[in-house]
Amino acid sequence: MTLVSPTLRDEITANMRAAKARMWVRIKGGNRELTHYIAEVVLPVLTIGAYVILYKTLGLPSSLGAAVIIGGAMIAFWTNILWNMSAQWFWEKEMGNLEMYMVAPVSRMSVLLGMAMGGAINTSLRATGIILLGVFVFQVPFQVHDLLVAGLVFLLTVISLYGLGMVFASLYMLYGREAWHTNMLLQEPVFFLSGSYFPTIYVSVIPVWLQVTATLIPMTVGLDAIRRVTIQGQGLMAVWPHILALIVFIAILIPVARMALNYMENLGKREGRLTLRWQ
Amino acid sequence: MAVADFIKSARESFWVGWKVESNWADPVLFATYRIVQPLASLLIVAFIVIIGASTGAGLQRDYLARLIVSTAFFVYVAQITTNMGWLVHTDRSRYEVLKNIYISPGTLHPYIIGRGLVSVVNATISVIVTLLFSIAVFNGILNLGIPINLLSVNLLLLVPTVLLGVSGLIAVGYMLSAINIVSNRLEFILGESLAGIFFLLGGVIFPVTALPSQVQPLSAILPITYFLDAVRDSFGLGTTGSALLDLGYLFVTTIGIGIFAYAVYRKAELRAKRLGLFDRKSEY
Repeated sequence: MTLVSPTLRDEITANMRAAKARMWVRIKGGNRELTHYIAEVVLPVLTIGAYVILYKTLGLPSSLGAAVIIGGAMIAFWTNILWNMSAQWFWEKEMGNLEMYMVAPVSRMSVLLGMAMGGAINTSLRATGIILLGVFVFQVPFQVHDLLVAGLVFLLTVISLYGLGMVFASLYMLYGREAWHTNMLLQEPVFFLSGSYFPTIYVSVIPVWLQVTATLIPMTVGLDAIRRVTIQGQGLMAVWPHILALIVFIAILIPVARMALNYMENLGKREGRLTLRWQ
Repeated sequence: MAVADFIKSARESFWVGWKVESNWADPVLFATYRIVQPLASLLIVAFIVIIGASTGAGLQRDYLARLIVSTAFFVYVAQITTNMGWLVHTDRSRYEVLKNIYISPGTLHPYIIGRGLVSVVNATISVIVTLLFSIAVFNGILNLGIPINLLSVNLLLLVPTVLLGVSGLIAVGYMLSAINIVSNRLEFILGESLAGIFFLLGGVIFPVTALPSQVQPLSAILPITYFLDAVRDSFGLGTTGSALLDLGYLFVTTIGIGIFAYAVYRKAELRAKRLGLFDRKSEY
């Protein structure tokens, strides 16, 4: 008896089905408990509220409150990327699922793609809730003149962020407890560098070296572009450098994720760490 | 349970907690991880004030000083509530040892408190480094002349304030552990939600009087409000008038939250025994 090699079409179909299956698990798992959805919308609004009140206390314009709401919504994506994308192989290892992914006849990248699509859909639902609740509670102004550009910038930002999440997921593959600590480390510093809670990182008060460092994070670039389009009412001419930068991020991050994944998987196999739990 | 046994159990629990949290990395890397997060939180709020000043409003140095001190000490709140909020989940579902701890003669009480004390030690290091870093950056590098003088801090006020504040927060963490025993998959939400509520209502980055009048009474019953007031008083940055009054309110609210937390724990314990929840395993 001879084994028939799958055709390219068979392989693509199998990988797409794997991505869809992983996405479905994520969507189902992320939305099965209403309390989680409510908490994930209300919790960021509490923090956003604190910053909006701080701006009012300092006598600053209310448009800055709108900037914080957008920042809060994007933080939901960053948090999702850290805990449900980057650390996902760690969780899967703890639960004993990682070895099943390893023996499945599909690329690990398709599993990551499914996680990313499911995570992006789940988090978009939450980000919408955060923006609607934030606007309702704090009555801050938005002005979107070009919905298409706003949508494009948002989409590119999310894809580049999940691309970064895929890179992290590969690097985290062999992590034990350090996965938790690394995620904690990557929260507040990225909130700071991306200017999530203050109007923009690109102002003269912020040292240039800090602005350059911050630009290496896709969220900084995407957040600035989204704010320009949705709060200042600017159009394509104002954000085309941002769009270009986000495309470059995507073009670099996805192949890097694939290389990192292969490297870490091989390393894990050599060192026997892929199924190691409770480290 | 004798006091000596309680202290011994809490000490052993502290040691376990310290190992669990710290032995995955070398000390320098571990310290870096513990310090970077609070520093970034501080920089966010400080830059809001500095960017605000650049719009023409002028730099409010006293305000920035209060904000730095409050944000630095809020680390206690964030770390204790978050870490104690995870404790039951990690010990029950991940390491599967909660049932063994519960049936051991020491009981869960000293164990939970000992584990909470690890967060206190970590937070104390973070607070000290954050304050030193603030002075170095804002008064050293940026030369902003922020009125914080660490040598003139009123330690007679600060030490009892921190002891009381930390006790109240451990009581909150104890309550979170109790709720987690009888609930399922709430560990990430509970601690962070509570920290978020305290951040909004505790007068951390703005005075409580800036809150809508309908929610100010809620702020008045939280120990964290008086904890931060008394801390600012000890730095000579108080705005409420009487440091002793703040300390008195902190004492009363801490006792109140302690009694409430114990009642919640007892109720949760009885329910968990009845329903067999001490070894329930939940995954995501």
